Amino acid sequence: MAVAAVHAGGIADHIHPEPQGFVRRYVFSLDHKIIGIQYIITAFVFFMLAGLLAEAIRTQLLNPGGGFVANGTYNEIYSIHGSTMVWLVTIPLLTGGFGNLVFPIMIGARDVAFPWLNMLSFWIFPVSGLMLFSSFLLGAPTAGWMEYPPVSLQGAAGTSMWCAAIFLVGVSSTMTGINFVVTILKMRAPGMTFTRMPLFVWGQFATAPLLMIATTALAAALAALFIERQFGVPFFDPAKGGSPVMWQHMFWFYSHPAVYIMILPAFGIISEVLPTFARKPIFGYKLIAFSSMSIALLGFMVWAHHMFTSGLAPFLQLPFMILTYVIGVPTGIKIFSWTATLFRGKIHYTTAMLFAIGFIALFTIGGITGIFLAAIPFDLHVHGTYFIVAHLHYVLVGGSLMGIFAGMYYWFPKMSGRLLNETLGKLHFWLFFIGFNLTFLPMHWLGMEGMPREVATYDPQFTFWNRFESFASYLMTFAILIFFFNAIWSIRNGKRAGANPWGARTLEWQIPSPPNYYNFKHVPTVYGLPYDFSTPLPYKGLDEELTDSPPVPAGAH
Amino acid sequence: MRAFVWLFMIAALFGVAIAVAYWFIAHREATGTALLGIMAAALAFTAGYAIVAERDARLEGDNPKESISDAAGEDLGIFTTHSSWPVLTALCVLAVLVGAVWAPLIGIAGLVCLLLCLWRLGAESARV
Repeated sequence: MAVAAVHAGGIADHIHPEPQGFVRRYVFSLDHKIIGIQYIITAFVFFMLAGLLAEAIRTQLLNPGGGFVANGTYNEIYSIHGSTMVWLVTIPLLTGGFGNLVFPIMIGARDVAFPWLNMLSFWIFPVSGLMLFSSFLLGAPTAGWMEYPPVSLQGAAGTSMWCAAIFLVGVSSTMTGINFVVTILKMRAPGMTFTRMPLFVWGQFATAPLLMIATTALAAALAALFIERQFGVPFFDPAKGGSPVMWQHMFWFYSHPAVYIMILPAFGIISEVLPTFARKPIFGYKLIAFSSMSIALLGFMVWAHHMFTSGLAPFLQLPFMILTYVIGVPTGIKIFSWTATLFRGKIHYTTAMLFAIGFIALFTIGGITGIFLAAIPFDLHVHGTYFIVAHLHYVLVGGSLMGIFAGMYYWFPKMSGRLLNETLGKLHFWLFFIGFNLTFLPMHWLGMEGMPREVATYDPQFTFWNRFESFASYLMTFAILIFFFNAIWSIRNGKRAGANPWGARTLEWQIPSPPNYYNFKHVPTVYGLPYDFSTPLPYKGLDEELTDSPPVPAGAH
Repeated sequence: MRAFVWLFMIAALFGVAIAVAYWFIAHREATGTALLGIMAAALAFTAGYAIVAERDARLEGDNPKESISDAAGEDLGIFTTHSSWPVLTALCVLAVLVGAVWAPLIGIAGLVCLLLCLWRLGAESARV
């Protein structure tokens, strides 16, 4: 626990010394960039495990009678698959991972506001993952990622472990949210006003209050479920006077905003990638920034559209239907702005750009089916069918995961100093894009025809499309394996990136790749938006960042 | 700071309006009203904190005409570049929760270690 000494009058007297040794530098590090990379690596490990579970699901569904795993095991598998993808992959990658990696640099800060809290947030995350997967040993939950009571009250001991794991990951998220809000509020470089912040930072800024506020509702619900299961205090059991619908209210009060936790940072990534590779200023900067905030706020007002079939009173259904339509407006503004950014741009079809364009296409499909589902008569028809599975995967895989891949190809050089192989990247994109659509598009009509979700066996009339989807899912998995190979291979053998391989204009690209542990020798001054490619860079004080000279003494500038 | 306060104030007022509207539209449905009310209160608390506790804060990032010299003199001070206490704290939390599900003794041991870790973590971060 050595506290780094600061040598008064030395050349680096307001920049802390570089950590020495592998363990201190990469395991016990308080550096936001290293913590970001730790998040990314851990989340991708969980992604592989969740992917294996997904393939087990698809293999079970090759035949109408199943047979690959027992029906009860199948229930456990899809429950843990959903929980892992939401809480251990998508949210940590987009907030803790990419957020930590680049947003403090983007605002000209040397670290986040609370480095210890940041490190604690990270280390709670693998611990909660360990707990979630260990629930298989005790009899994993079987009621899906939503764990509706009373089924979740009847599950084996693993359901309590699930409660504890998700509660913990919620604590981690809340701490990350607090850290990010304070960092954005208090640590922006001179001149980095709110309306000059990069759009990825706006994405994180809109997400952080959701992490802080919505997660509290989930934590309360999980604590209640845990207490009811372990100590018999009746919150949700109708036989003892509890209300299962109360769980649904509390769960969706978190889980609908959670969709925006999983998509707003991805919106931010896309808003960085598109202008960089279209070589054009982003269209409607303020519209995109403020639409993120309005999506975050409206996200709290629509939770009960998940409960149209739960006995919700008709007079309550209508406002939720209308508010859900309203939330499509700011989302539409973003899609329009991105498309306008591409219009007449000098487009460079890098892998990151392909994933960004793919994101727009697939997320739009997911968004439009969301508007379908907001309509009560349609929702009543398809609720609990594969249409829902198709919709949520178009939003969370076609949207969030495509955004994550765009971010990986875009910022991998900043992380590692090397470029990911573009040929393998494009192969990854096309196989993933095709495999994804072939897997999830047919689920729309399977759902319309009445195939229920979360079933281990199904009616033989659905056999053809289920087999088709299963084989297509193997293609998607193969594409992801190409990505993993590319990432591992490129860390040692990739082409050296240099500071700014994409000619991007945000601050993280104006310092070396990978950045020094102190980020900036001088905290820069910001004079404008980072997206105007026709003007000089809007920063002052960056002249020495790419030189080999050591950091300057405090107060020398 | 002003932009931050306005964002959170407007969001809090919107939350209050929606909570009140929900109370009447939903015929006094308690769960949703409470959740919306807590959301509005949390947003108001954040705005209130910024107004009261940070009223003298002068943030260079808020001023578009700031220069480097205006922000000079910032001193990041002494702080550690690494720490093992967050890792140990996370492991103690694991012990507490596993103990609650499986073996209470592990939970109690975990709780004692957790308090120790939080104390050391606080002491270490307070030194900076």
